[in-house]
Amino acid sequence: MSEPIIALNNLSKSFGNVHAVRNVSLTIDAGTIFGFLGANGAGKTTTMRILCGLTRPMSGSATIAGLNVWKDRHRVRTKFGYVAQRFSLYPDLTVEENLRFFGGACRVPADEVNKRMARLLDLTDLEQKKDTAAGSLSGGMRQLLALDCALIHDPPLLFLDEPTAGLDPVHRQQIWNLLYELSNQGKTIFVTTHYMDEAERCTEVGFLESGQLLAKESPRALKESFRVPLLEIDADPVMPALVRLRSLSDVLGVSLRSGALRIYSPNPGELIAKWRQEWPFPDIQLLADRLVEPDMEDVFTAYSQRYDSLLKRSTS
Amino acid sequence: MKGTSFSAIASVAYKEFLHILRDRRVLVLLLILPPVFTLVFGHAFEASEMTGVPALLINRDATPRTQRFIEIVDKNKTFRWQRVPPEITDEADLLKHRVWASLVIPGGWSENLANGNPKPVILYLDGSDTNTATYLEGSVLKSLADFQIKERDMMIDALPDEVIELGKKLPVEIRKQFVSLMEAWSAEPKILYNPKTRFIDYVVPGIIGLILQLLTVTLMACTIARERESGTLYQLMVTSLRRGEIVIGKILPYLAVSIVLIVMILALSWWHFEVQFRAPIALAVICFLFLLCSLGLGLLISAFSRTQTQAIQFSVFFLLPVFVLSGAFAPLEQLPKFIRYASEIFPLTHFCRAFRLVNMYHATFSFYVVDLAVLLAGALITFIGAAFLLKRIEE
Repeated sequence: MSEPIIALNNLSKSFGNVHAVRNVSLTIDAGTIFGFLGANGAGKTTTMRILCGLTRPMSGSATIAGLNVWKDRHRVRTKFGYVAQRFSLYPDLTVEENLRFFGGACRVPADEVNKRMARLLDLTDLEQKKDTAAGSLSGGMRQLLALDCALIHDPPLLFLDEPTAGLDPVHRQQIWNLLYELSNQGKTIFVTTHYMDEAERCTEVGFLESGQLLAKESPRALKESFRVPLLEIDADPVMPALVRLRSLSDVLGVSLRSGALRIYSPNPGELIAKWRQEWPFPDIQLLADRLVEPDMEDVFTAYSQRYDSLLKRSTS
Repeated sequence: MKGTSFSAIASVAYKEFLHILRDRRVLVLLLILPPVFTLVFGHAFEASEMTGVPALLINRDATPRTQRFIEIVDKNKTFRWQRVPPEITDEADLLKHRVWASLVIPGGWSENLANGNPKPVILYLDGSDTNTATYLEGSVLKSLADFQIKERDMMIDALPDEVIELGKKLPVEIRKQFVSLMEAWSAEPKILYNPKTRFIDYVVPGIIGLILQLLTVTLMACTIARERESGTLYQLMVTSLRRGEIVIGKILPYLAVSIVLIVMILALSWWHFEVQFRAPIALAVICFLFLLCSLGLGLLISAFSRTQTQAIQFSVFFLLPVFVLSGAFAPLEQLPKFIRYASEIFPLTHFCRAFRLVNMYHATFSFYVVDLAVLLAGALITFIGAAFLLKRIEE
């Protein structure tokens, strides 16, 4: 194993009474696609901003390639590219002007900027749009351009804060293909997301909840951290079933998945055996039942709702 | 500064220049306002003499003497008299008659003059505008004085020979004094510093100040606030750019634009109004220091505001008192003392004073060195303040 490219050691940050990040420690190896998951307000963006040297950590430390992200922030900045959550390029400047500006701002020599710009525009299919104002690009193209701007100084590490939020599936796919390509070139990618299918594409996933890191593992290991399989039933009518199942004491939660009801319960086998004997809702039909393996969405639900009884270890 | 790179500054400056270029509406404003302001201010006040002011003339004393007075008053080009019958009673209602003044010759006026008991004529004046009333009064008094001299000459011509003989018996000194006392005494004005008393010569620095503060301060104030509002400031901060590079890069294009604007104003006032500019180097130094001060101020507001709206509001709140109290368009000496002291904190006050000292008074360096020092200090304070505020944003 090589030296970790990112290392967080007991990192904390609060804003007034809000503890945005609480004693987070984690390391990320070079070449990883690290997916940072968590609900809105869990502290993902704050952690990323600390890593980018935009927010001062209150205690603990963080390093990128061995450099302290706050004290050495000017030196660290050559090591990473950052794509913010909001579109943060200049809308009145063209695609090419934006790229040239960020190239100059990152002290890339002019002839090198030309070469890289040509390669990046080719990679993201933006050559045709070279002279278009960034503000008139579609959402997907804006995001691709933001990626290009973050890559103009050829950093070994890339931070992306919800890069696919609000994009159509085609552009999401395009961005992920690009991330694979970059990962293949040896770049480390640190990405926050709400999409569980995207979490599944990462080589490693970290779960943040109320500023605390609950887990950091590969998606497979996370799914295997479930102690039990999940119970899935078909019921008719489905919505009243969902609402009423939630009120049962031995059911932790219910979610709707492709028309079926997925039930979070510590003893799914017992539960279904009981229901087969005596279904508690006479006006709702129980059509079918099966046990299924958890997917990332279930992992996210279990970790963020703290369904500890479903997991092999405690989340607190 | 350690590691400051010229090409990094150039990147920021070029980007900022593109922002100015792309905002077509503001660009048009930038190019049109300076000449328009120069023409408007230059022409608006160039004729300081008032003529043809509508006024009522009411004569309640129909005598040959009054007639002679009216002939003289008629020749006064300040007024355009409307003769109204003596019976009217609402001569004081200037608004109703749509006049600015009303002159009443009371009944028995000439008789009183003849009796050695002169009574005044009555003059109603619109005092709503402080300057006009005194000007009109002066004009009427001048006609009255002309009339008095004419009447004196007529009286002397009509004196019987015995009286002349009697007068000759007076000692020569007393006679001479009499002659002197019966003349209207006068002053011979020799106007210095602005001999043609043209307003444009006075107001050129005011126009430069107005344009620079109005356009440059507000535009500059918006630059950092805009980046903050759109989130690009963070994007800027994760690049290798240093604070100093961002600030210098942002100032350079506005510096260039401001210099173009100043040259436009100076060129137009020279070409159209024939304003002479002496000591170009001294003027250039004064303009440059004032420019730095204005840009620094914009930068300070910019670093202080969170949004562009705030930046504009702060600029307007700051600029309003500046225009009224800086002596850009009217002499400061008319203001009360404590306001005059307050006005000393505005860069525009020092700029206008130094500019006028050089261009109108042809003063030597020692007269305006204090103003230069204040401008320099203002530039330094605003830049350091902005750098400090930016450091706070960074953390």
